[in-house]
Amino acid sequence: MTMDKQMQEELKRLFETKLNRAMRMYLETCTHCGNCVEACHVWKSMPETRYTPVGRSEIIRKVFLKYFKLEGKIAPWLGEVIELDDIALDRFYDAAYSCTGCRRCMVYCPFGIDTQMIMSIAKLLLIGADKEPKLLSMLADMSIAKGQDVESSQSGFEEAVKNLEPEVEALWKTAPGRKTIPVGTENADVLFVGLSGKDSIVPAAAILNAAGENWTLSSFEAVNFGAFMGDLERTKKIASRIIAEAERLKVKEVAIVECGTAYRVMKQQTGKHPFEVVSFVELIARYLREGRIKLDRTFKPRLTYHDPCQMGRNGGIYEDPRFIISNFVRYFIELTPNREMNWCCGGGGGLVAMGEPEFRMKSGRVKAEQVKASGAEVICTACENCRTQLTDLSEHYELGIKVESLTDLVAHALVK
Amino acid sequence: MLTDKLILFIAAAGDAVSKATGVAESTAAVGAAVSADAVSSATVANAPVTGLAQIFGRIEYFIMVPMVYLALLFCLAAIVLHIAAIFKAPAQPYSLRIYPAAKRPGLAAAIDAFGMPQIRRRKPVFWVFLMIFHISFLLLILGHLDILPQISLVPEASRDMLGAGLVGVFVTVPLFYFLFRRFRSPNREITVPADYLLLILLLFLCLFGDLMSWGNSWTANGFVMTKQDFAQYFGGLLSFSFADPRLVLHGSHYHFVVIHVLLAEVFFIVLPFSKVVHAFLTLPINMLRRK
Repeated sequence: MTMDKQMQEELKRLFETKLNRAMRMYLETCTHCGNCVEACHVWKSMPETRYTPVGRSEIIRKVFLKYFKLEGKIAPWLGEVIELDDIALDRFYDAAYSCTGCRRCMVYCPFGIDTQMIMSIAKLLLIGADKEPKLLSMLADMSIAKGQDVESSQSGFEEAVKNLEPEVEALWKTAPGRKTIPVGTENADVLFVGLSGKDSIVPAAAILNAAGENWTLSSFEAVNFGAFMGDLERTKKIASRIIAEAERLKVKEVAIVECGTAYRVMKQQTGKHPFEVVSFVELIARYLREGRIKLDRTFKPRLTYHDPCQMGRNGGIYEDPRFIISNFVRYFIELTPNREMNWCCGGGGGLVAMGEPEFRMKSGRVKAEQVKASGAEVICTACENCRTQLTDLSEHYELGIKVESLTDLVAHALVK
Repeated sequence: MLTDKLILFIAAAGDAVSKATGVAESTAAVGAAVSADAVSSATVANAPVTGLAQIFGRIEYFIMVPMVYLALLFCLAAIVLHIAAIFKAPAQPYSLRIYPAAKRPGLAAAIDAFGMPQIRRRKPVFWVFLMIFHISFLLLILGHLDILPQISLVPEASRDMLGAGLVGVFVTVPLFYFLFRRFRSPNREITVPADYLLLILLLFLCLFGDLMSWGNSWTANGFVMTKQDFAQYFGGLLSFSFADPRLVLHGSHYHFVVIHVLLAEVFFIVLPFSKVVHAFLTLPINMLRRK
């Protein structure tokens, strides 16, 4: 299928905007050694070449060869170059949205090639061709719109938050004279950024109150749909809402709810700020170390922990969750493999937000097998995407394992 | 200046070859008295110089002298431009590190680049061949430099190159492995024609090299061409004398030397556009995931 010449030129221009130093190295260094193949949970569950990290990257690499390299022009057959057309874009979609951006392949690659970054080219070109997943762009645009018109949604937000207070009080009685869920408090030490659902706010509020923290709740949700789309502009706009709020309230720290992508975007991809960015898991671990909260060590079921890719392999948070677990769990079992080698759950990269139940369940087979082999009765994690995917996997594969949020378990284990 | 000299010598190559053939004749005649191997070269030298032989002589001279300079110059310039284009591009605005974070990122990247632990853990056989290949390839470069009398890692009087032919074999055997593993799934599906051709080019380049450095010693009367002969050829190249290599490289094996040099030149020309650039990028690319 031939593409409109003007569109092709526009897509080539977009492609070129992504060719920074790292990307050029990633596109020019792969020797097709094949070591990355077995790293991908999708390939492990569905062994097709298109589901290998190198298979995905090759589609981009072959377009790069055709339009940006001399050898692609002189001897296109040598690299089997690909013309930028509608068929190529369909392959881009298949590659980009079958990759969760877990970056497990980076651990396997002898050069450390970042497939997630290469896939950001595919995602950008899909946006350019108006072929991106519409649900993601709609959600991203809604987030941006919310940031542009805070005042109109603020009163409704505060009222909704007020309704959550009894649930927070049930978990932990707030000290007299303090607000159960403070909103818009200036000079707070911590700005907690939750998700739109109450499940992310209630347990966190209980923990923050138990620690006697001077905190305030963000008016925005942490999740960044722009990052799932690989759209740097939207990603920045969505993150800038929280940054502006934190600066306006003059907070010392921004604590990101259990959401791996939101944490990584805020921590690593938005530059330097006058405040620190921490994951809520790090904050809980700090409260425990400082003796600001105590947990009841009576949790009896065999529990295992799933390292979310964006928090572990891509964020460096491995030990804090384990330290927290050691404070309230009697029988802890490690998944095999774990930490940087842990299998991706298969829900990242926007797949959970997009739905895609059939693909997620098929590609999550290896994860389901790993969880089953652990013999655990409960699996907890620190990422909402992972929690949703693990819950779906547990149901689909009849694993008989309960899936919990780490924050939620901590909130229910709080003692004086 | 050098270019003028080069053009002049290319034009004069025909004369040089004709004269060199004459010299080779007498040299071969002397050689025949001391070595049975020289019989073959003498046979060649005594054969009437037809038009075709003259054309081949000119082609061989071009391959053995001017094209060496051209290929090396092209290779160096293209690599510099290629690497410069990459490093001129804007840097990544945020870290691409993976965790756990290395305490010494530079050291970790160097271990990744030169030790390939990612492959050792998962494909130990492949890793063994990769290590043998890369170490031997470096020794091979060293062995070629050692031909120059100024370096002399192997005693100047030695008839052997560094490793006495073994280094070449250690490069060749892994190349067979690298090529044949590409025929197996899933590697077959991710391989493009350029991968096969590069391996085949390297394989033939090394096989002809083996023929000279190792196979050369299989003849009943010992070496046809020795390290000293190659030293004279290299010396001629280094001094830009544009002398005909036939004056110093005797015997019928000369044609194999020409093929070896031609394949090396093709390798130098395609190197900047091939996956071999990973040799120059492996350290900086590994730094991205460590820093």
